[in-house]
Amino acid sequence: MGRFLGSRLLFYIAAFMVAVTFNFVLPRMMPGDPFEIMFAAAQGKIQPEQMAVLKEQFGFVAGPWHVQFWDYVKGIFSGDLGPSLTYYPTPVTEIIAGALPWTVFLAGTATLISLFIGISFGIFAAYNRGGKFDSMVAPTLAFVGAFPQMVSAMLILFGLGVVLDWFPVGYGYNPDIDAGWTLAFFLSVAYHAALPLITMVITGIGGWLFLMRNSMINTLGEDYITMGKAKGLSTRRVMVNYAARNAALPVVTAVAMALSFVVAGALLIELIYNYPGLGNEMLGAVAGRDYPLLQGLLLIIVVCVLTANFLADLAYFWLDPRLRKQ
Amino acid sequence: MKNLLSFFKGNTPATVGTTIVLVFVLLSVLAPWITPYDANKRVARGHQPPSAEYILGTTRSGKDVLSQVIYAGRISLLVAFGAGLLATIIAVLVGITSAYVGGKVDSFLMFVTNVFLVMPGLPMIIVLATFLGQVGPLSIALILGIFGWAGGARVLRAQALSIREKEFVTAAEVIGESRWRIVLVEMLPNMVSLIVGTFAGAALGAVMGQAALEFIGLGDPTVISWGTMLQWAQHSSALIVGAWWEAIVPGIAIAIFAGGLTLFNMGMDQVSNPQLKGSKNLKRWKKLNDELEAQRREKLAATKRQNQGGVSTV
Repeated sequence: MGRFLGSRLLFYIAAFMVAVTFNFVLPRMMPGDPFEIMFAAAQGKIQPEQMAVLKEQFGFVAGPWHVQFWDYVKGIFSGDLGPSLTYYPTPVTEIIAGALPWTVFLAGTATLISLFIGISFGIFAAYNRGGKFDSMVAPTLAFVGAFPQMVSAMLILFGLGVVLDWFPVGYGYNPDIDAGWTLAFFLSVAYHAALPLITMVITGIGGWLFLMRNSMINTLGEDYITMGKAKGLSTRRVMVNYAARNAALPVVTAVAMALSFVVAGALLIELIYNYPGLGNEMLGAVAGRDYPLLQGLLLIIVVCVLTANFLADLAYFWLDPRLRKQ
Repeated sequence: MKNLLSFFKGNTPATVGTTIVLVFVLLSVLAPWITPYDANKRVARGHQPPSAEYILGTTRSGKDVLSQVIYAGRISLLVAFGAGLLATIIAVLVGITSAYVGGKVDSFLMFVTNVFLVMPGLPMIIVLATFLGQVGPLSIALILGIFGWAGGARVLRAQALSIREKEFVTAAEVIGESRWRIVLVEMLPNMVSLIVGTFAGAALGAVMGQAALEFIGLGDPTVISWGTMLQWAQHSSALIVGAWWEAIVPGIAIAIFAGGLTLFNMGMDQVSNPQLKGSKNLKRWKKLNDELEAQRREKLAATKRQNQGGVSTV
């Protein structure tokens, strides 16, 4: 077990270093002097002291490039991501710390809910192949999932938020309520998260449904299913304990691969619903050409995706006993 | 040709999907002849609802939505197919090389592929695009292609590995055929369906990616594509003002096109695993299956009752 997970961990560290290198190389790849460009793009909002700080942050210190790179990496691992330009002089890490919990909450909850519902529906659709659910509801859900997320978000915002006014249309919670461990706060958070969650879940179910359904159909052809039925087990037991357990393995692999799409979706959803997460900050940074914040956000998003991937690896390991023999 | 037609027979998703994609391509090619107005000119007052004159209404700046959406389709389709083509070419090269050469090259290429797979694509593209300033459709296609090949490469490598073990490849090697010839003539023809599937998937990702990039504002605002139309709609608060046509029309265009590609992919899935196909006999099978299930349940219940009657519960 240690060997498999150890090699995965090494891989994730290597991937993180690739992201760090990407961040390092980017300002140097731009034609011309990157700082002239940044200064011009910021249209006079950057003071000279800020320029000096920027230069230091990006590692443009004296010395050959490998010295610069080592300096930059040291800075990253000691938690120094530099100051944000648009929120000068607030450090990037502070802004990230404020936004991160919201995104993790939103994306995590949405993924879990759509996974759970999607897999359940998928099992049901596979076992009742050709029935009403499989031929009508399932393709409809898949079609809804194929809508570009921003369009679905706009429609749901318009329909449920503006026209029907069932849910609030922005922010993480009611600004009148103080943040804290109170019931009122949690209720407000849940209330404000409803529309983004509904959007993400509705667009996500279709994918998991079909993945699970196809995987189940493949599994139901196996011999041990027939064996289970021959032994006299109830249909439910065969479906859940024999078929679904095995069919879930490819789905777990797919979860890991889908995480980057979940992040992308969360980004757009946060933009439309003005939700105070990493995505919103990122888009603000794009508009304000806030390069340190942008790079910092990229790194933290990469860390989140890699962590989630690792958790998916753990889950796969727990589910498939064959891996433990290694 | 017969093979081509048999692909569509009984395969509803493939037929519907291909039709949709072909219709879009046709509309894009015929754009100058079928659009009623110039997509760039202001032809009416802003935010006119759909009417006989302006079938899909007008945008905030008074341009005809129908003409815009058809012309926008050209750019969006070009970028989608361009990025898809680039991604597929890279995926084929990486996948087949990795599988055929093996060894250290394989390990290295697989490492690179896995890194690209695990990286969150959209945030990286956003950062890259911001550093580059504004990006026109060509740059967007390049960037999306460069970030979109990883999934296909893994799948193609898996298939190439299994083909490589087959006897006709070993026979070709023994005869002394050159590596190039083996790859091009023996292996590639067997992978065509998977490569086409990869292309469809990559094009699908590119459509969404392009729309997302332009929606955020990183695209070239002077170019009309579905994504920039959405961005203008968001800018002019079209939905809130009540001009739903400005926002929904490009959205539906993207959705239907993406749906067509998805259906096409579903069709390809059914080709590789015929068990997934629906068919006319499925209803009959379901009826028979349900009867079997009912009988089984009765027998189970009867056996339970027998056991409870015969053995006293402890």
